[in-house]
Amino acid sequence: MDAGKEFIKGFWRENPVFRLVLGLCPTLAVTTTAVNGIGMGLATTFVLVSSNTVISLIRSFIPKKIRIPAFIVTIATFVTIVDLVMNGYFHALHKSLGLFIPLIVVNCVILGRAEAFASKNPVWLSIVDGLGMGLGFAVSLTIIGAVRELFGNGTVFNISIFGDSFNPLLLVIMPPGAFIVLGILLGLMNRIEIKIAERSGRKPIISKTHDCSVCVVNRSWFDLGSMEKGK
Amino acid sequence: MKEIFRLTLVLTVITAVSAGVLAFVSYQTEEPIRKALQEEKMTAARNVLPPFDNKIIEDRKFVVNSAGDTIEVFRGKKDGKITGAAFPVISADGYSGDIEFLVGVNRDGVIQGVEILKHSETPGLGAKIQSGEFRDQFGGHSIDNTRVWEVKKDGGEFEQITGATISSRAVTRAIRKGLNFYETNIDEITGGADRLREGVKQGSEEKD
Repeated sequence: MDAGKEFIKGFWRENPVFRLVLGLCPTLAVTTTAVNGIGMGLATTFVLVSSNTVISLIRSFIPKKIRIPAFIVTIATFVTIVDLVMNGYFHALHKSLGLFIPLIVVNCVILGRAEAFASKNPVWLSIVDGLGMGLGFAVSLTIIGAVRELFGNGTVFNISIFGDSFNPLLLVIMPPGAFIVLGILLGLMNRIEIKIAERSGRKPIISKTHDCSVCVVNRSWFDLGSMEKGK
Repeated sequence: MKEIFRLTLVLTVITAVSAGVLAFVSYQTEEPIRKALQEEKMTAARNVLPPFDNKIIEDRKFVVNSAGDTIEVFRGKKDGKITGAAFPVISADGYSGDIEFLVGVNRDGVIQGVEILKHSETPGLGAKIQSGEFRDQFGGHSIDNTRVWEVKKDGGEFEQITGATISSRAVTRAIRKGLNFYETNIDEITGGADRLREGVKQGSEEKD
């Protein structure tokens, strides 16, 4: 397997946020500013690389039946380390990320990579996978954070973009804004993917046209007859 | 039966190793965390106290308020004389969660500054209680020179933040409460400072 390919997939092909749509709790909750996005992304990257490394190292010792508790204990250990170290040495950042650092434990990206990759692959590839996925996650969070900060506060990385006369769109940095921005960015990414695929002549990762016959919106939820095959 | 022992053993080993690692990290970061928290509070205290030349960390005094809670009061002194005090105030009336802040007053109970320590108000709305615009308007006010200690919406003298009246009101009323606390305990806070200092000198470890 090609290490470069494993690294790069986290940024586009299997991007955790925009493609796999995993780890949405931190994605939606902390991305009120670009700095928060970077901080959360890097903390997650550290945990992801560390847990991938350890799980890959001990993968042959862990019986299949207890693999999930074993993974969770490993992940929780690294999260606690991040929490303590950040509190001591990057106190301001720790304060603004607050509750969400301990919640990295339940970020499904991390458990997902442990289960789907690190427990089946050698250490070297697992580190590369963790690094790629983690940085892909960090970049996605930073982009969402930057967009929300720009429209919700008129700044990016605390640098004023629109000037003092700008009347911020508060909704964007409130919880509903997270969903709206994520949805718009997801749609944009799909559109770009289709354009790129068309140009290079390959098959796009997502299908181009929406198939109304399989869409849940098109069906009456209570009319079971129409759910049958061939409809 | 054999399998269950193996599973137990593996999990025990994993958790034991984790516990060991965490114990080590926790031991290593204990001091930096304590320092960071202390530093945060000290910076706030320095910002709200009138000019002082003493080591405020040594001149702390613990005063019990009317609710029975122990309040950590920082005291600023110049040439050995008390110039003012800073004390934490907690408001439970915020829009979400407690708002904790530090109020600095001079000897006569006139506000010198307000610093927000902890809050979880809505970003962009209630969180604006952190802005200088809101906090600075309390400077120069005391119970004596302020007729109605409320936000303007409630007929008082203080500007509320647009769209965040609840947060503004919570802070405003809590400051008033803090001033009352200072008035009530003024003798305990300003008196006996020099004696305390003598006693603390030996045991102090922190330089300010």
